[in-house]
Amino acid sequence: MSVFKTLTATLLLCAIAMPAPAQDYFISNAKLVTNTVDGIVKDADILIRNGKVAQIGSGLVAPADVELIKADGKWVTPGIIAPFSQLGLVDVSAEDTTNDITSEYSHTSISELASDSFNPKAVSIANTRRRGITHAVVSPRAAGESIFGGTGLVANLSGEFDSIEKEQAFIYIQLGGSGTDLSGGSRASTFRQLRGAIDDASAYPARFKGPEDGDTLSRQDAAALVKAIRGQIPLLIASDRASELLKIIELKTAYRKLDIIVLGAAEAWKVADQLAKAEIKVMVDPHDNLPANFDRVESRLDNVILLDKAGVNYAITNAGALGVSKPITLTQHAGNAVGNGLDWNKAFTAITQTPAEWFGLENTQVSTGRTATLVVWDGDPLEVTSAPTMMLIDGKRQSLKSRQTALRDRYSPTREDTRPHKYR
Amino acid sequence: MIIWSMKNLRLTLSAAASIAFLGACGDNSDTKTTSDSDVAAPFASTYLPQPSETTLITNARIIDGTGQEIENASLLITDGKISAIGNNVTGDATLTIDANGRYVTPGIIDIHSHLGNYPTPSVRAHADGNEVTSPITSEVWAEHGVWPQDPGFDEALQGGVTTLHILPGSANLFGGRGVTLRNVASRSVQGMKFPDAPYTLKMACGENPKRVYGQKGGPGSRMGNVAGYRKNWIKAQDYQKKRAKGGDDFKRDLQLETLADVLDGKILVQMHCYRADEMVQILDIAKEFDYKVTTFHHAVEAYKIGDILKDNDTCAAMWADWHGFKMEAYDGILENVPFVHAAGACAMIHSDDQNNIQRLNQEVAKTWANGNRAGLNISKAEAWKWLSTNPATALGILDETGTLEVGKRADVVLWSADPFTTYARPEKVFIDGALHFDKESGLKPKSDFRLGYGEIK
Repeated sequence: MSVFKTLTATLLLCAIAMPAPAQDYFISNAKLVTNTVDGIVKDADILIRNGKVAQIGSGLVAPADVELIKADGKWVTPGIIAPFSQLGLVDVSAEDTTNDITSEYSHTSISELASDSFNPKAVSIANTRRRGITHAVVSPRAAGESIFGGTGLVANLSGEFDSIEKEQAFIYIQLGGSGTDLSGGSRASTFRQLRGAIDDASAYPARFKGPEDGDTLSRQDAAALVKAIRGQIPLLIASDRASELLKIIELKTAYRKLDIIVLGAAEAWKVADQLAKAEIKVMVDPHDNLPANFDRVESRLDNVILLDKAGVNYAITNAGALGVSKPITLTQHAGNAVGNGLDWNKAFTAITQTPAEWFGLENTQVSTGRTATLVVWDGDPLEVTSAPTMMLIDGKRQSLKSRQTALRDRYSPTREDTRPHKYR
Repeated sequence: MIIWSMKNLRLTLSAAASIAFLGACGDNSDTKTTSDSDVAAPFASTYLPQPSETTLITNARIIDGTGQEIENASLLITDGKISAIGNNVTGDATLTIDANGRYVTPGIIDIHSHLGNYPTPSVRAHADGNEVTSPITSEVWAEHGVWPQDPGFDEALQGGVTTLHILPGSANLFGGRGVTLRNVASRSVQGMKFPDAPYTLKMACGENPKRVYGQKGGPGSRMGNVAGYRKNWIKAQDYQKKRAKGGDDFKRDLQLETLADVLDGKILVQMHCYRADEMVQILDIAKEFDYKVTTFHHAVEAYKIGDILKDNDTCAAMWADWHGFKMEAYDGILENVPFVHAAGACAMIHSDDQNNIQRLNQEVAKTWANGNRAGLNISKAEAWKWLSTNPATALGILDETGTLEVGKRADVVLWSADPFTTYARPEKVFIDGALHFDKESGLKPKSDFRLGYGEIK
């Protein structure tokens, strides 16, 4: 064991001592999505020095000492942000020992930090990164006897050990039909638990003489909810039914500091004006159009378009993103919002700038002086046929290889190799 | 309003005749009986095409499903069938549609769907797709669990799906019979059944059966799975002999009847199987008992054995990018479909999902692009085979649909744009030449379930 420990320590030291050097790049002739007031800039040349965007212009001359990346009119964009995922919390969903998404048998909830489970070396991180996603909101889910899933994080997808950008980024809460199973059996019980928890955290620490003194929460969980009660981090609340969304608006009216993001929000179009007025944010899936359950009987394909018209602050997600393979389809979901009538820029913002602002991420705009986090694509990023050709996160070039590309290359029919596959 | 013409009446008679197996289809040599009695097959198709006009679609870019893409082409539909296609088509049509350069393709066929047997809303009462009471349930039929009011059928139609195959779930080694449906509005599943399409048998490999039955008497391992297949094929061989012999002592056995029909080549095996090594073992079992595996479904590792699938004439039905959710899906890659295709095997897309079925063209576009990015050079027209041609082959209905060729059913989609882009949508969907979805006029089906819920103000 000691040899192993020493070896591990040495490897860790090496990793710390030798960070990948920030390189200099000149990306020529790009169709640049800036996510700033400049919008989309055609024929853009981008000079990156020491990991920062040094210059953006047209007809610039590439310095001799930088690597030239010819975009040839192709798209360069800020990195895509997966606004809801379980990346790094699970290797193989069906294998319990690899799956830290929920804690079925735990008596705590909010105070459980997903960052303690997060593994940046999970192969799904590199598999997802190579599809243009540079950051992910990583959420635990609720289980057991609590509607609270715990505290989620935000990470970049560099796969580095220091890739978590916010350890305590939000609190996950499950309402709706799924929530009733966790709280006692009815929507009344989920709201009792939710209000009780908020009251406990509001009265923390005065109410707690002993560890179990809260109406609903333990001292430990009440303490973990305090940041959210003060509006310092958002509550991410999964809910779909219009009548339930109105109850959430009531909650926001009673506790004005709460920063509420509703996940799912399939029937949000029915109460869009109220959501906009209450400044409640929503994260919707533009593929949702089936009455998948009785919380979302009135799902419709143009939900996001109606929310946009009403002035609701929205992000686009793929709500089915439970499995590790799902986040890679985020651009497709945004693209389909466009196919159904949403403006391209709005759809793109909903998977980049909007979630970045909600979760306090920086460097999701491409402008002079900022650290470069960007993706060079071989086509329109919202087209299913497009893929990244180059990526920078915080100025560092990222590998676009992964376990999937290794398997692909081993078994590629283009390969002329007669050796057994294990030797290829 | 539907006006039933003489043509439909004739079709009624023809369908009734074929139901009774009187050789109305002009193939007297093949008695299609699936049981030993002379009675009509139960639950026979009552599907009748909707009335259609003689329709000429002009100025289209046609991907025909045979690997061809034809510009400035026309398509003529007469009596619900394709009567002419190409650059020099003329005909007296009562309806002419100028495609204005837009794409026209065959209707999409999804070989793996649970619409109707796992419908939305997905409440407990609706979970009718899996008879999870024994690992051997070849006696159950998917169609008996299909709810024709599943709103998912309506949405799939708007995604261009004209034919779909509903399977039992994958808990069991022998899951039961699958059924091929026309994606049409009907009060009964019989009214959706694809006339004379062969039945299929759903089988399952790997993790699911051993997980479900591991604590319920087995199988509890992949060894138990294989033993379970072989023991029951032995029983089926015995039954097959007794059935052929007949006599008063012979008693029908629903469970073995389906298996014996597989051995007789009348029922097509559709087998859920992920891992490459496991598929190769299944192919050996098929050789031992002299039956054919028509298609491996999900087949996440099919790309590792494309050559073996080709040699065995076995198809693979796959996702574009699902992987990683269980151990046997851990090696999924984004190039599975094109790699299997490039090996010369029969590859296709499938959904297994009520959302993905609405945009299978995008699923193909994804995997097609990834294949070409990995060094292949597959045309869009060739890749289209993954959406209609190869599924039709694997369901035994290629002589009726799956491509746009003269004489076939006019299952046709007119797209707003290139179906390989995210932004394209079906604008018109024809089934047997009749318009079933039309974006322009707002024609679309609406499930009973969706009645009575409020509309936008």
